[in-house]
Amino acid sequence: MSAFVNVIRAELYKAVRKRRFYIVFGLQWLLLPVLVLLIGWLLIANVSGTFADTGAEVAMIVQEIASPFGMARVSLVLPALLAPPFLIIVIALIAALFMGEERSQNMWKTVVTAQPNRFAVLFGKLAAAMIVLAVFLIGALLASVVFGTVGMLFLPTDFSGDWGSVIGLYGLQWVFAIAGMLFAFLMVWLIRSIPFGIVAIFFLPPLFEGLYSIYRATVGFDRLNRFNAFLQAIELQQTLQNLPRYFFTNNLYGPSREPLGEIARAFGGDTSGVDGPLANILGFNFDITRSLITMGVYALIFGVILTWSFVRRDID
Amino acid sequence: MTQTADTATDKQASRQTPADRSASALRADGLRKRYGRTTVVDDVGFDIKQGEIVGFLGPNGAGKTTTLRMMAGLIRPSAGTREVLERPTPGPTLREVGTMIEEPSFYPYMTGYGNLEYVALLHGGVPASRIDEVLRFVRMENAADKKLSAYSQGMRQRLGLARALLWRPKVLILDEPTNGLDPVGIAEFRESLRSVAAEGVTVFVSSHILAEIEKLVERVIVIEGGQLLFDGPLRDLTQQLDEQQVRYQLAATDAAALQQALRDAGLEPTSDEKNTMLRVDVPKGEADTLLSRLAEQGVQVLEARRETESLESAYLRLLKQDGRPS
Repeated sequence: MSAFVNVIRAELYKAVRKRRFYIVFGLQWLLLPVLVLLIGWLLIANVSGTFADTGAEVAMIVQEIASPFGMARVSLVLPALLAPPFLIIVIALIAALFMGEERSQNMWKTVVTAQPNRFAVLFGKLAAAMIVLAVFLIGALLASVVFGTVGMLFLPTDFSGDWGSVIGLYGLQWVFAIAGMLFAFLMVWLIRSIPFGIVAIFFLPPLFEGLYSIYRATVGFDRLNRFNAFLQAIELQQTLQNLPRYFFTNNLYGPSREPLGEIARAFGGDTSGVDGPLANILGFNFDITRSLITMGVYALIFGVILTWSFVRRDID
Repeated sequence: MTQTADTATDKQASRQTPADRSASALRADGLRKRYGRTTVVDDVGFDIKQGEIVGFLGPNGAGKTTTLRMMAGLIRPSAGTREVLERPTPGPTLREVGTMIEEPSFYPYMTGYGNLEYVALLHGGVPASRIDEVLRFVRMENAADKKLSAYSQGMRQRLGLARALLWRPKVLILDEPTNGLDPVGIAEFRESLRSVAAEGVTVFVSSHILAEIEKLVERVIVIEGGQLLFDGPLRDLTQQLDEQQVRYQLAATDAAALQQALRDAGLEPTSDEKNTMLRVDVPKGEADTLLSRLAEQGVQVLEARRETESLESAYLRLLKQDGRPS
């Protein structure tokens, strides 16, 4: 246990000295809230009270995005919607520091002689990485509260909102990210190159998921004729709707995308039905419990491969 | 570096008892490492006692670093067993090993002190005062706050030694530790290792600089082509070879006649660096009669020197005897 704690302490010591994190975290903690406040202010200054705002919808929208609660929700949702999602960028950077840098700086030999317990090294690094990610998420939440409170000085916003739910989603997103972090660790460790490892983290899952979708959409169907065409079309539609539910990328951002339905409704979107077009595009139609189980299975698979490889592989 | 050596290693001394000195520090048995079809280390075995300081010699690609890596638990042998402090490796005794394998590497964005502090945290149980202590020991206390990117090769080597000593290891495994050091640095490094070894720490050190090994160790292990060629006291290596052959340096009034006479005697003379004398290895049984035989052939020898075998020449001849290029 002490070896595990030693590794966590050492890795966190290293992490706080890495400038890269301050820049990336600053984008989320400072830039995003400032941009949201700016958008809120522009909406209030230019649209509120005009012919386009007959039902005072602008004030409601500003409350949804620029209030302390709204901003906390946007800070959770937006990084999961970018392409590639900001969350996976942060995860990849953390993995690059804790796993990739040891190789690029030729430090593995030092690390595993200073701490020969390789289980402790691997899981200590993983724990430290998850602590850094927790700091990132908590920082995003706190920054939203701070900037949202500042926004209340010049925007018609208040503290109202389902805070328990949004804090729960932040926590859940952190839990989901364990599988993401294990995947990122695995890629950087196996590929032995930070740039290629990061590329693999971003593009391998969508690539495999795409190939698997094509495979499922083309294999196992009967030869098309006038009698079975309708049934096969339905089967194909169901296959393509069901597949993403078990994909890594879709499930990883499940908690972050969960509040999208509410936000979309606030903007007048049609979110009816779990398989509606908006829900499918934005990916907020996932059952969180099932997603949690799915990510647990992914975490188990990635964790077993990573542990097996890490303990056995020679250190160059 | 020696002036602070006592403070750096005083506790190591207190840990070492006479009984420990007969105990094994590093033991390898039938060690083999294959990469695909290539065998890099083949059936290597040795037993290094606690408190010994042992040189590990071999040309480039001989398998030295691979052997050291296996002993340090960095790579798994394809066959054979390893023990550190009489416990199988990998195991808890690896925590008692300090290493400096190949060029020491560090995090460039951290200071020298920061790099040591990181490793101290990683290992655990290293007080902050110990970091200052090892920095003083390698005379790096004034450069400790500089980032690694500003360090010279020599400074990195010193910091590497400081890092290897950080948790007061009982065994030091050093691979080419004097690479990149200037002559003064090499001498200081040698003194540092001596003082560490004097306190009871086992030192297993590989080097290409044979003169350094000669000044540092009493026992050498020679490896070539992945196989063990020699394991024993340094004087045995030099005496063993000296017993078989004697090296002469000769100068004559007629160098060409001298060269021809030596060749006629079945010897292989070579010129020395200044091209003023001929150097020749003579079987010990014929050495005493060499000069009289040359005189019989009319060669007027002006100067004859009987050389004492250095480690380097013994080492090179050992490799030649084994039928391998030196």
